[in-house]
Amino acid sequence: MDPMNAELPDKLAAAVRALDARAAAHAARVSPDHVASRVLERLRREGAVDSRIWWMRPATLRAAAAVVLLVGAGWTVSAIRQHSVQTAVRLPVSIPVDSLSAQQLEAVLKAAGEVRAANFGPVPSSNGSLDSLSEQQLQQVLASL
Amino acid sequence: MGLPALAAEADGELIARYLTGDEQAAGELVRRHTAALARYMAAQGAPAEELEDLTQEAFFKAFRALASFRGGASFRTWLLAIGGNVLKDGRRKWRRRQVVELSPEIRDPSGDPAEHADAGWALERLEEGIGKLARLQREVFMLRAQQGLEYPEISTALGISEGAARVHYHHAVKRLMAWIQ
Repeated sequence: MDPMNAELPDKLAAAVRALDARAAAHAARVSPDHVASRVLERLRREGAVDSRIWWMRPATLRAAAAVVLLVGAGWTVSAIRQHSVQTAVRLPVSIPVDSLSAQQLEAVLKAAGEVRAANFGPVPSSNGSLDSLSEQQLQQVLASL
Repeated sequence: MGLPALAAEADGELIARYLTGDEQAAGELVRRHTAALARYMAAQGAPAEELEDLTQEAFFKAFRALASFRGGASFRTWLLAIGGNVLKDGRRKWRRRQVVELSPEIRDPSGDPAEHADAGWALERLEEGIGKLARLQREVFMLRAQQGLEYPEISTALGISEGAARVHYHHAVKRLMAWIQ
């Protein structure tokens, strides 16, 4: 088979031929005898087989690094998710208590209590009535929600 | 055994001899495949001044891993795949040349200067494009377009399926065509 095969478009095939010709010219400057003597010398010096302990080999170290990265990324994502669930969103709400009737206040407090119970557990029941609270106390109750 | 006799031996026989401690067999394998390996690496952008070091590194790694060579692909194809790995590591260390010139060896003094300029531009763009391909796309493309290998051998050498090799080649051709247009 012609390496610069006919399946390539002409322009690409021509460019590949030129690239290969230049690569061959560069490769011709590499002396096979010199490479052979260097390789053999290195094999004698460093050993013909990889004698490093298995966990010191690059592939093992790369795999270990990948596992550490994955675990770290997973832990970070998990921590961010947990944090976002636990962080209650506080909206600055200002309600003029004067403008609400006692019934409306009851409704607001009840709704807020349900939300709070849903997020943080049931609100302890109180025997006190809204009627018995002063305006200041009502403001404090609303502000605490 | 003399060198002429060694040169007549098949790669498999030389590998077997090397594994039993015959250094001359390793030397013959290096001499036999240096040009192809260096050419493969040079075409993928290995700097000319580092080509010998990179070639030596690939052979060294190959001989150290020779016991794991199963013969599914030829020794040369297996060696080229190792060369690809060496290049991958090398790419982190060296930057590709920004300016590409046609080597005197391949510059043709005859013909239309405009055609030469266009060919030089396409070559420059091709080299840039090859450098931008994903690793498997690049290696499959070079093994097929430059080395002329068939898909089964490419897939064995790179440890991918034949279908995946075809897909990588298809994408590489498409991207390179867009790059040199």
